[in-house]
Order: sequence, then structure tokens, then C-alpha cells
Amino acid sequence: MAEITETTEKKKEPPIIRVKNLYKVYRVGESKVFALNGVDFSLNRGEFCAVVGPSGSGKSTLLNMMAGLEKPSKGEIIIAGTHIERMTEKELVTFRRENVGFIFQSYNLLKTMNAVENVALPLSFRGIPKKIRLEKARKYLKLVGLEKQMNHMANEMSGGQQQRVGIARALVVNPRIIFADEPTGNLDSKTTKEVLKLMRRIVREQKQTLIMVTHDNYLAGFADKQIHIVDGKILKIEEQHHEDEEEL
Amino acid sequence: MRFLDLLVMSVNNLRRRKLRTALTVLGVIVGTASIVVMMSLGIGMSEMQMEILESYGSMTAINVYSDAYYQQDGSSDPNYMTDDVIEQFRRLGHVTGVSPLLNYSVMMRQGQYTASYVNLIGVTRDYMEQISVGEGTYPKMDGSEVELLFGNMVIQNFSNGKRGGSYYETGELPDVDLMGQPIFVVYDMDAYYQSMNGGTNADGTSVKPPKKYLVPVAGIVEGGPTDYNMYSWDVYTDLEALKTQLRKVFKKNPIPGQPTNKKGKPYNYFIYSSAVVYVDEIDNVKDVQTVISDMGFQASSNSEWMEQSKKQSQITQMVLGGIGAVSLFVAAIGIANTMMMSIYERTKEIGVMKVLGCDMGNIRNMFLMESGFIGLMGGMVGLILSYSLSYVMNHLPAVSQVMGMMGTEGNISRIPLWLAGMALVFAIVVGMVAGFFPAVRAMKLSPLAAIRNE
Repeated sequence: MAEITETTEKKKEPPIIRVKNLYKVYRVGESKVFALNGVDFSLNRGEFCAVVGPSGSGKSTLLNMMAGLEKPSKGEIIIAGTHIERMTEKELVTFRRENVGFIFQSYNLLKTMNAVENVALPLSFRGIPKKIRLEKARKYLKLVGLEKQMNHMANEMSGGQQQRVGIARALVVNPRIIFADEPTGNLDSKTTKEVLKLMRRIVREQKQTLIMVTHDNYLAGFADKQIHIVDGKILKIEEQHHEDEEEL
Repeated sequence: MRFLDLLVMSVNNLRRRKLRTALTVLGVIVGTASIVVMMSLGIGMSEMQMEILESYGSMTAINVYSDAYYQQDGSSDPNYMTDDVIEQFRRLGHVTGVSPLLNYSVMMRQGQYTASYVNLIGVTRDYMEQISVGEGTYPKMDGSEVELLFGNMVIQNFSNGKRGGSYYETGELPDVDLMGQPIFVVYDMDAYYQSMNGGTNADGTSVKPPKKYLVPVAGIVEGGPTDYNMYSWDVYTDLEALKTQLRKVFKKNPIPGQPTNKKGKPYNYFIYSSAVVYVDEIDNVKDVQTVISDMGFQASSNSEWMEQSKKQSQITQMVLGGIGAVSLFVAAIGIANTMMMSIYERTKEIGVMKVLGCDMGNIRNMFLMESGFIGLMGGMVGLILSYSLSYVMNHLPAVSQVMGMMGTEGNISRIPLWLAGMALVFAIVVGMVAGFFPAVRAMKLSPLAAIRNE
């Protein structure tokens, strides 16, 4: 609790994400399972935050609720001043389209499309003309270092390359917030490092907020802020500042 | 999402599973073709029936007869059909034209050839306009002079007075040139025969052979000397001219065929046995007919037959169309099945799209477009198939033989443009309806469940 007030006081800007007293209760047969049991925190613009915890701690649930994929049982989620827990599914889709980028553990590229088309896909949901969106997609693919794989189909690329495409797809819509659910879960350690650094660099350059869920404390160490969750409750929130040079 | 992007995505999804798409489309092809071909048969049959009916006479004409012409009971003047009555008919609503038919038997001669009891009919312009003239033109209709329009089969009536032998015995057409050589008409046939048989009438006074009149021939009804139509057997002329001519021939004497009053004296006006009333539209024929019946005349028209045959052909068409519809229904089930399969396969993809912010409506429309496309493709190929099947049916020798026996000709299978258009629209609609529930299902998939699906 103390950390929240501290961070809000430190920066004049209001927090981009504010989570208040969040509960998620699943009913398993007769008994209730508390996936989230009263979670409070806030995040500022431009922060790289890691949600860390063992499996079953409720970290994925938290992420899904912030992205509007799941409804909370109780509590508030305020993103950029909007209560998303009150939105209808239709409004949530619009909200995601306008504000959110998403990076999946299993990449989830569309197998029928090549790299550029995959990256351009979320832009097409916004009704952006083909020419502009392909141009933008190429730009972001270059940014993640995939100039040579632009026209490769999803299954013609390695896991690391696919995840880079996934990152480009999340970034191309210029979202305020990027959610990443175990983005490096399927990658080897070398690639993992590269991908994480890439993510951090881009987010910093573009002043975007990145929230990453992981079970790995080492990976969480790349983040500016670590929220540790155990059994649906926040155990502790750590903050640390990284200089770009130190990881290079 | 832009419509074009949506379209491209739908088409790409269909192209992904070519065999499955092709099989589903095949179902629609068979369904569309069966409906179209079945209905084309129904339409062909009913149109043929109409054509037969139309050859019997115009569909909008009412034939009016007067009973009173024959039954002359003593009391008051019978309900004759006179020029006044004809005027009343003309003033009825929806009536576009009226013509009394003044039937009068005459004898015609050209050289050695004679035709007796030729039915000369005086008609008005309204009636004359219905006849299509082959050779020559229409007679003058200004009442000044009798000009003749010969029925195309009347020539068969002429026989050679000296050699004998009519067309019916010899099978040879008489050597009569209706248009080129002069035609003489004998109006007073009674007097002619009396003068032939001894030359006295009932009073014992001698009868002079009646005058022959040279009458110009304006034209001949369309058709060869053996092609029947309803104008084939009569000779037509202007009503007013014929009236004037008859008055001139008979002076004060009764005109044969015209009724007389109680004292046996002729009326000083003409009385018609029948008339034809033309109505603007088929739908109004029945009403006008009722009014005329109420005026005390007998009225009949082809529309009665037509209504019956219309009902019959409607039932035929419905039965045939129904048979075809069953196969399109089966095709619709095929489409629904394909779409469901496709959704199960693409559950994850749909989920990803929803997470990435694809509108729910877009997802639904994408699936609707896919199923609509299946319908469109099936409908188009089905139409091509229908047209070729129809062509084959119309050109099978066996079919035209049967039709020849039925006394009709023309195509048995007819695909009007509206049927083709409707079939196409129907195929698309069926596709979209069949795809609707799968599409809604896809739209409602929870994005979370969809991306969890491994």
C-alpha cells in the first residue's frame, strides 16, 4: 500500500492503470476458489512491470482482467480514467482495439498469413487501408529485426522469430498498454534475453506501458517494477531502475 | 474493418479448405439446379398452355351473345342487341373497344368459281385491329364502301361451277386470285336461287336474278390457306359500309337474318346476334363480364379457362419447385455443417482476433460472408448447369416428338430472367441463413476460452 501512494506522489501524471480491491472467485463444485483475493496497485505510464508468481497464484487472471478478457467478481480496474469492469463485451473489444497490444506465450500468429500480414492484422480491424497498414507493419518488423523474414509464413520461422512477429503485432497499433503473458515461455534462454531486451528498449523508446506475466524471478528482474503474487494476494512490490547499457 | 478486407479474409478462409468448400458448393449447385429446372418445366408448361389458349382468341376479349335474337315471344320487344346497347357497352369502365358482329351470308364469284354461304361479317375498327393482315392492307373503315378482308382459308370455299369438285373432294386449291382478279358479291342469295330454280317466288311472280356487285378486296388474313386461326373462315368488312350496302340492296324489304316485329315487318335498325367487348386488362375481364350478364346478355371469355389453367399450373409449379427445394434444403444443412466445422477448427484464431480487437460484428459478418459465398458460387454454377440442362431438354428429339403429339411447339423448359435472378438471390440467402447460427456462435466465443484452446 505504501508503495502506491509513494509512486503517485512521485509523478504528477495520474497512473495509467489503477487496480482497486480486485477479487476473482471461481466456483468449483460446492467450494469457492479465490483466484484473486483483494489486489491493489497502480502503474504509471512508460513503466515495465512484471507480475511474478508461481503457477496458480492468479497472475494470469489478473492480466486477463486488466485486458478485459475476464470479468472481475468484485473491485475496480481503471485504465486511463475508464472503468473497464463495467464495460460490455462490445465496448471491451473496442477498448482493446484502441488501447491494448497483446503478446501471447504461444505467439498465436495466423498460420494462413505471412509475417507482414500478421502484423498488419490488428490495423485492419481499425479499418486502415491496406497500403498504409502494410507499410507500418514493415516498419515494425524492421524494428524487431525481421527484415529478411517479412514474407515468411508463420510455420517457416523459429520460435524466437515468431515471437518477434508477435511483438511487432502488439506494437504496430501504437497501444498505450502492452500485455504479455509468459512471452518467453516457449523460447530458449538466449532468445529469451534478446526478446526481453527488445521489448524493454521499444517500450522505453515509445513511452508505452508493458505488463508481463512470468513465473521466473530472473526474467522479472528485467522489469522496472515487480509485483509478486502468491495465492491471489500481492506479496510485495519491488522497484528497480535499469540503465540500458548495463544489460548490453 | 473495411468491407474489402473482410471479403478478402472470407475468400482466403474458403480457399484454405478447397475440397471441403468445393463439396459444399456442389451441394448448393445440385440444389439450385434442381429448383430452377423443376420450375422452368412448370413455367414452360403453363406458358405453353397460355399460348394454346391465346391462339383461340384474345385473352381480354368478351364474346357477347343475345338470346333474344332467336326467341321471339309475343309480349314486348325482346332484349335485342342494337347500336344503343353497343354504345352502353362502350361506356362501361375498363372497356377499350366494342364491335358488334353483323353476320351476313353472301355468295361470291370469280370467273367460273363460286363460293356460296360465305360469312361476311361487318365489324368496327376495334375488331379489325385485332386481325393481323398477311397480304394487302386493312379495308377502308370510313363507312363509304364495302371492302373485303378475306380469311386465309376462305379460298377453300370456292368451287368450279362447271367442272364441279370442291377443295374437299379434290384437295386442290381453286384457281382463284383474290387480290388480283375482281370478286363479285351477290347479297340476295334467296333471289339468286329462286331465279335459278324456275324464276318464281311464293307469289308466283317471276324473280329477276339479283344484281352482282363488284367489291374490292383490301387484303387477306395472315397465314397460308391451311393455317387455322380464329379469323380464317370469315370475310370481314366495315360495319357501317355493310349496313349501308344492305339497305341499298334490300330497300324496304326485310334483310335476311334480321328479325322482324310481331307484324312481320322489319325493324328500321340493325339487330346483332353477337358482339365482342375488349377490356383493358385481363384482371378486369371478369367484372365487365358480370356487368354485361346483368344487362341480360350472355357473355363468355377465355379468361375463365385461363383462370382455371392458371390455378392448375400454379399447383404444378409449386409441386415441382417443392421437389427442388428439398435438395436445396439438404444443401443448406451441408453449409451449416461446413461452417460449424470451420468454427471448431478456427476457434483459436477467432479468439486471437477478438483479443486483438476485432469487432464481434466483423467476426459474424466474416462467417456470414463465407457461407453467403458458398451460396453465391453454388447458385452461379447451378444456374449454368440449369441453362445447359434446359437446353438439352428442349433439344431432345424425344421431347419434341411428345410435344408435337400434344399439338404444341416451343420449349418445354423455360428459364425467365426473374427465375435466374431469384435462384441466385435465394442461393445466397440460403447460404447466409444456414451460416447464421454458426456465425453467431463464432461471435460469442469467449476470447479467453478460445486462446486457451491448445
